[in-house]
Amino acid sequence: MLGAAGTRRDAADAGQAETTGETPVTGTSSGAATVPVGRGAKTIEAKDVNLFYGEFQAVESVSMSIEPNKVTALIGSSGCGKTTFLRALNRMHELTPGASVKGEIRLDGEDVYGAGVDPVQVRRLVGMVFQSPNPFPTMSVYENVAAGLNLNAGRMKKTEKDGIVERSLRGANLWEEVKDRLDKPGSGLSGGQQQRLCIARAIAVEPEVLLMDEPCSALDPVATLAIEDLIRELKDRYTIAIVTHNMQQAARASDVTAFFNLEKSGRPGRLVEIGPTEKIFTKPDQEATEDYVSGRFG
Amino acid sequence: MPESARTEYQEELSNLEASGLGGLDLVSTALSRTMEAVEHQDIELAQIVVADDDRIDGRYLEVHQALITLLATQSPVATDLRLISALLHVLKNVERMGDQCVNICKVIPITGNEPPADAEMVRMILAMGTQTRTLISQAKRAFAERDIEMARDLVRQDDVVDDLNRDCFRLALELGDDADKREWAMTMLLAARAIERIGDNAVDIGEQVAFVVTGLFREFEDASHPEG
Repeated sequence: MLGAAGTRRDAADAGQAETTGETPVTGTSSGAATVPVGRGAKTIEAKDVNLFYGEFQAVESVSMSIEPNKVTALIGSSGCGKTTFLRALNRMHELTPGASVKGEIRLDGEDVYGAGVDPVQVRRLVGMVFQSPNPFPTMSVYENVAAGLNLNAGRMKKTEKDGIVERSLRGANLWEEVKDRLDKPGSGLSGGQQQRLCIARAIAVEPEVLLMDEPCSALDPVATLAIEDLIRELKDRYTIAIVTHNMQQAARASDVTAFFNLEKSGRPGRLVEIGPTEKIFTKPDQEATEDYVSGRFG
Repeated sequence: MPESARTEYQEELSNLEASGLGGLDLVSTALSRTMEAVEHQDIELAQIVVADDDRIDGRYLEVHQALITLLATQSPVATDLRLISALLHVLKNVERMGDQCVNICKVIPITGNEPPADAEMVRMILAMGTQTRTLISQAKRAFAERDIEMARDLVRQDDVVDDLNRDCFRLALELGDDADKREWAMTMLLAARAIERIGDNAVDIGEQVAFVVTGLFREFEDASHPEG
């Protein structure tokens, strides 16, 4: 499934057509559009993952499974490696000069770091939403959503693209707010809208997994709750992992919580405990987890 | 974050626990006075117990409100959350125990100034009172020390109270046909029943100890399925 670009998409699309029986989208934005069905959420399995920036080891021996159709929150103090780990899941970690990865990360059983695997395809299947909303400033709302399609799908019919843009914006709960200004700059939207635009952009390419790195840290409480509602809806179609510093957000929005910590300053981050969110916030097994979620230690 | 983070919040929660459990001392005093009032048919002392119940109710309201404020403002989780949840239960138990003392004190005037008291019945009720005060102090200590074994032992201690309650019932049946004596015995059975309920509340507090420690709530004894 993670072969070179080109064959990868064809195989995936064929698989989807077989399983869903749906015909490829060629409709217009006439209102019949539904949210993207996605390819189906997939499991990401990390096994003994060690992450480095040059000589410095940032993450040590993390093994965990991120399950489909669930929201997995990664929590922990600053510098504990949770964002680094998140970025390793879709091969963005290696974009930092000197960064390296040891261990296995498997998407639906296939090694994302395997020989011959195209990192661009990995990032397409495992989308990322960042801390600050980062729509392309010179692009319109429409172009922002379609940006990934242009990169991934080569030449696509305008009507097909219209359909995907609408479905993606609907999927991100943004369509009603922007349908009359699709040609206006994305940067003209409010912060919360911009973040939902970025989510629309991420889901336009029909990923299997969505990674979110503190997606609400730059947003006000109302926009934050709107994103959390959206995350809950999206988990029906995707595997979702979210890094957050807001413990109440982890408690509210996630099904599974993973707590990362540093043994001590200068040591690599490690996974201390992972479990159902309800358990982590009511009766965690580890004292370090208890201290962190109770706000007693950093 | 420094290791001493959230000290004010921790201190406040700790003070609220002490204050909530302190309600058990108030109940213990009320029960002691109630037993004295029963023993001596002391109507004035009974009235003091009734009036003093406002202090127990006041403690309930004060600590309850402060715990709700902590929930709203501090987002407690894990052990802190379990403790607050347990304290809310304990407060209710304390308030109910105080009410049972009031119930007993309210029936004392009914028995008359010189009731046809049966010494054996009075002795058993006083024994129930003494045993129940032991339960109250043990429940408080088990909670403060998070001692599940001590909490579980409350069931055994409560069995003594239950047995005495049954003995009171049997004795009441044997007191003969005298109408005044039977009326007095019926009233004493109400008192015995109230003390027995105080014991049950102490066991309930023990169950909250187990919840704080383990995160699981289990009744120590299932009254609906006593064999199970």
